[in-house]
Amino acid sequence: MPVYRHIYRPYSGRLTPAWSRSLVLTRYGLAEAWSSKITIALFTLCFLPVIVSLFGIYLVNNPLARVLLGAQRPQVFTIDAEFFLHDLQAQSWLALALASWVAPRLITFDLADNALPILLSHPISRFTYLLGKFLALFASLSVVTWIPCLLLFAYQGYSSPGAWASAHLGIAGGLFLGAVLWITLLSLLGLALSSWVKLRVVATGVIFAAVFVPAGVGAVVSAVLRTRWGFLLNVPVMMTLLWQRLLDAPGISGADLPTGAILLTLLLVCCVCLGVLNARIRAREVVHG
Amino acid sequence: MPRQNGPTLRERRVHPPWGLWWIQGRRLVRIEVRRNLFSWKAGWIYVLAFTPTLILAIHAGMDARSARDIEGDTEVLARIVQLFYLRLAIFFGCLGIFSRLIRGEMIERSLHFFLLSPVRREVLLLAKFVAGSISALLLFESAIVADFALLYLPFGGMAWTYILNGPGLGQLAAYLGVAALACLGYGSVFLLLSMIFRNPTPAAMVFLLWETINPVLPSLLQKLSIASYLRHLMPVAIAPEGFFALLTVETEPTAAWTATLGLLLLILAVLVYACFRMRTLEIRYTTE
Repeated sequence: MPVYRHIYRPYSGRLTPAWSRSLVLTRYGLAEAWSSKITIALFTLCFLPVIVSLFGIYLVNNPLARVLLGAQRPQVFTIDAEFFLHDLQAQSWLALALASWVAPRLITFDLADNALPILLSHPISRFTYLLGKFLALFASLSVVTWIPCLLLFAYQGYSSPGAWASAHLGIAGGLFLGAVLWITLLSLLGLALSSWVKLRVVATGVIFAAVFVPAGVGAVVSAVLRTRWGFLLNVPVMMTLLWQRLLDAPGISGADLPTGAILLTLLLVCCVCLGVLNARIRAREVVHG
Repeated sequence: MPRQNGPTLRERRVHPPWGLWWIQGRRLVRIEVRRNLFSWKAGWIYVLAFTPTLILAIHAGMDARSARDIEGDTEVLARIVQLFYLRLAIFFGCLGIFSRLIRGEMIERSLHFFLLSPVRREVLLLAKFVAGSISALLLFESAIVADFALLYLPFGGMAWTYILNGPGLGQLAAYLGVAALACLGYGSVFLLLSMIFRNPTPAAMVFLLWETINPVLPSLLQKLSIASYLRHLMPVAIAPEGFFALLTVETEPTAAWTATLGLLLLILAVLVYACFRMRTLEIRYTTE
């Protein structure tokens, strides 16, 4: 519109409330992430351990099924904190695969195509933009972590003869808290690394490498310096210890670290991720000459 | 019409211009090696390769000799090579280096410059593979040599005896050989994956899973993995730990030459197939 034609009028329609603007980005983010067939395939794959666990719970709680399968002992295996710990572990590592695929799809297109200045020219802040993307990833990961784990818990509570659920509410709380901690870390890590490398192809590998390579470095530190503190670089070991303590399950990891040190390390990782996001998510266009 | 001085197509088929291909290949290798090793984007590979070296340097500086013994440190080195370098550093390093050779050029929209130049596509592919291999070998082999030196040299005269009169030198040679085969093996696989898939990383992660669970697979399936060949070549065996130890399928020990030959044949087969795909490679930058 030419500037001399003074017919410009500001938009007078209904404005989206500021608090829900990030949800618009979440909606579009989810649509983008779930438009890929690989996302669907990964999502389906994430439910295989749940189906196996579901069958296990059914088997334990159904005397007829046990007889049909020829189980001599009254209990094939017990549904306890250790059972749910293994379930949470399986779901959480599958969530890593899903995050490494979905997170780059949410953010790298905006950065690689220099679309961020256009997006941020809308009445949304950088925080709103990040919150929208974070919620999209967090929601996707929730569907494969704490939601199926709690559904399994509910099914066990429903099918067990006694008042099992009320006696084991701590497991449900541990499942929820452990999964939420993990997917928060994964979401921040995924978004930070995707914004850092900008290329989707590279970002998928970098997210995996960011979890496993420091674990290897931590193992080298522990072996060479003969110290247990090397495990603080080992995210798989740290998370296993944390989940174990949250669920009050017997130890399955040989490592031993104080819970405070684990939480502090995770907090530090999250702060570094937020720092990276703060540095990379800016309305600027990079023009290569 | 005057006859052209250059060789005809038939003459080229009978007598391939090896000299020309050699010159073209050498120049391509030089360009790629420079890009792989001497650009700021290559910094992460140095970090990946030399992090254990840094840790060992700190350890050597702390003079903790009194709490160490050569046998214990030999096992530590075996763990570093087998669990860090082979499973993580060389795997992810080769994924980065070799995926970039073809797929990276497509993303940067510069592959067509190579394809439009009068170079056979096989020469181009093999030159890129050689360049990637040189980069990976230089980095990881020098890192292993540095690790070896930093681990044993603080022992002084005892270390020299262990290296020159004991099994030390043989172990170093074996580690270097295993690392070289790992670089070539993983490199060839990732080069091929980067030509097949637009995003080779998910396939590479499936491959990583395959390599990780390989010891628990039946012996026939174990042969379809790079890790199984490398395991037979390790001079110091590391026993599997945890849950995997229960499920590990022990295969009969394979002679070193059989494992090396098997892996080299696997690399050759992958490269031949990659050359075949390179002949029909098409670029659609709009879909990248």
